[in-house]
Amino acid sequence: MRYRTSGVLVLLAMMAAAGSAWAHHSPSSIFDMSKKFVLTGTLTEVDWVNPHIAVFIAAKNADGTVENWKFESAPPSWLRRVGVNSGDFKKAVGQTVTVEGNRARDGSFYGFLQKITFADGNSFEMVNPNAVDSH
Amino acid sequence: MRHRFLCIFAATIVLAASAAAQQSASAPGPVTKPAHTIDGHPDLSGNWAYSIALPGGALKKVENGSVTYAQLDQSGRMPAKTPVEGALPYTPAPSYKPEFQAKVKYLLDREAKLDKVFYCGKPGVPRISSPRKIIQLPTETIFLYEDASGDPYRIIPTDGRPHRADADPSYYGDSIGYWEGNTFVVDSTNFVEDTWFGEGGYFHTSAMHVTERFWKAGENLAYQITVDDPNVLTAPWTQAPRVIKPSTVPLEESSECVEDDAHRMDNLDHHLQR
Repeated sequence: MRYRTSGVLVLLAMMAAAGSAWAHHSPSSIFDMSKKFVLTGTLTEVDWVNPHIAVFIAAKNADGTVENWKFESAPPSWLRRVGVNSGDFKKAVGQTVTVEGNRARDGSFYGFLQKITFADGNSFEMVNPNAVDSH
Repeated sequence: MRHRFLCIFAATIVLAASAAAQQSASAPGPVTKPAHTIDGHPDLSGNWAYSIALPGGALKKVENGSVTYAQLDQSGRMPAKTPVEGALPYTPAPSYKPEFQAKVKYLLDREAKLDKVFYCGKPGVPRISSPRKIIQLPTETIFLYEDASGDPYRIIPTDGRPHRADADPSYYGDSIGYWEGNTFVVDSTNFVEDTWFGEGGYFHTSAMHVTERFWKAGENLAYQITVDDPNVLTAPWTQAPRVIKPSTVPLEESSECVEDDAHRMDNLDHHLQR
């Protein structure tokens, strides 16, 4: 049994808050769910805060200008329960990382992080447990 | 002969008892938790699964070439999938008086902007759901929670006292507890009006009265709420029961809550609802 990633479904699942105090807005109210993009840059800061952690990345664009990106992701309590703590992110501050996610529709340097790959090749990726590929 | 046999038999029992005692003292086996407290009530104490909603996805972790998956069991935040013995009859949604139904829809349509829980607000009772830890004492029961808005606690007297007459309204209200057979009933009143008692724009007035019921369902904790607010509801609303599993995960302080997404929203789409 393998998990298959589906950006929209993952994000919807991440945002779903049934009967909850972890309520949250719709992904479509902020992020462009039709496009997933990849960004490589230097991890500059990690804010381990509710309702979702924030990961800051400085990335050079095509003309060499540095863009300071902010990505939100899952809540700390969720990450802790799947075996990830703040140190797993913060130990990579200053290193090159690659992230995959969805950009905010307001065009700002803001996105939702679905996957982060660290310099050592290790990675965390949110996947949809309902999209199971039985092949 | 018979006397010698009895002596040997008695000595054997003494030695066996002594050995058992030594074994018990030096290498204790699993501790069997009594099903009831000393005062005869079912023992609800312990850590219970986090039943406040969290994202439903799974995490794929690649570490040194090894791939693992982790996913939360969030069954406790959803209505029980099978009938729960002892549960009260329930309905999917509260019934508001006709003159308030438009307001509920207005709030529902704009919940991404108006629901304070989205912005680190206190969920209050009953939206905080079932506690992460219950400490059941002879004259009071303590509920501990983990929540992004802070980590609230409730101290629920069970000594027969009435509700406080001098308490200020609060998010978690004034609670008293009592037993109905094997069900622990928590009766709460005196709420602020800032909260919703559920997503979907379920506003209320200060007259809200919440009854929470807790009982054991095997090793699990069954939990069901009834909300009444005669100012706005046509009748008390009882929600579908939840079944909360025991947990070995220790409680931890929640991280600071900082939410500034409101200015980024360019529509009023709201998240998936129950």
